[in-house]
Amino acid sequence: MSAVDELLAAVLAAAEDEARHDSSPTVEARHLLLALAGEPEAITQAVLGPVGLDHQGVRAALDREFEHSLSTVGFSPATYALPRPSASPDHPRLGSSAKLALERGFASVARKKDLRQAHVLLGVLRAEVGSVARALSLAGIDRSALVDRVREGLARSERPDGEEAP
Amino acid sequence: MVAYMPDQDATGVRDPADALAAVAALRRLADQLEDAAVEQAMRSGWSWPDVAEALGITRQAVHKKHAKRLIAAGVKLRRRDDVRG
Repeated sequence: MSAVDELLAAVLAAAEDEARHDSSPTVEARHLLLALAGEPEAITQAVLGPVGLDHQGVRAALDREFEHSLSTVGFSPATYALPRPSASPDHPRLGSSAKLALERGFASVARKKDLRQAHVLLGVLRAEVGSVARALSLAGIDRSALVDRVREGLARSERPDGEEAP
Repeated sequence: MVAYMPDQDATGVRDPADALAAVAALRRLADQLEDAAVEQAMRSGWSWPDVAEALGITRQAVHKKHAKRLIAAGVKLRRRDDVRG
């Protein structure tokens, strides 16, 4: 496995854990964001950290979006007091929002060997609709400013004089 | 229960983005509820055919979707010929 594949595999494995924790049969973009927020990668941390999007912050924002979306049709998840279901031992499949995020992330890199976790973050943040975009908007976070900051971080790290550890 | 408001559309939600997000969130909630409810039923000794009939899906579908997870979780599943007590 190349270094690039290992980086991606680490994010995907963490995202699968997030999906299982969520009782979701599929890995979605929101699970990628949770996984990225828990990774120590420099650009990701520099973009997400200052707006309070550490792992816990992302989870809180996503929970709020879920509850808000249910409340618009008069439902509250708090009304259901069923015990938490056991997690599935299966690998969750890649869901459509995660596939789109990966496609958008890969589209932003010219050579595959330059692919980093920050490109995946870029792909997740570029979605204009869906639970991640709504969660950020509800949390009062400017998504397009985050996109710009990831792009700037990537541009800086790709310049030979500003070389950052991969 | 959705309150009827004359100035809103049929779903009671003004913004189509809200209505679409509500559909996605309800599907998520339904999946979580199904996992929890099937597990609770099987832990209390329900049979696959009864769970399937209660959910309105086939026995094969409910088994395929939940058996592996429940076995991994150590839930003691009833055999087909056991009688519900």
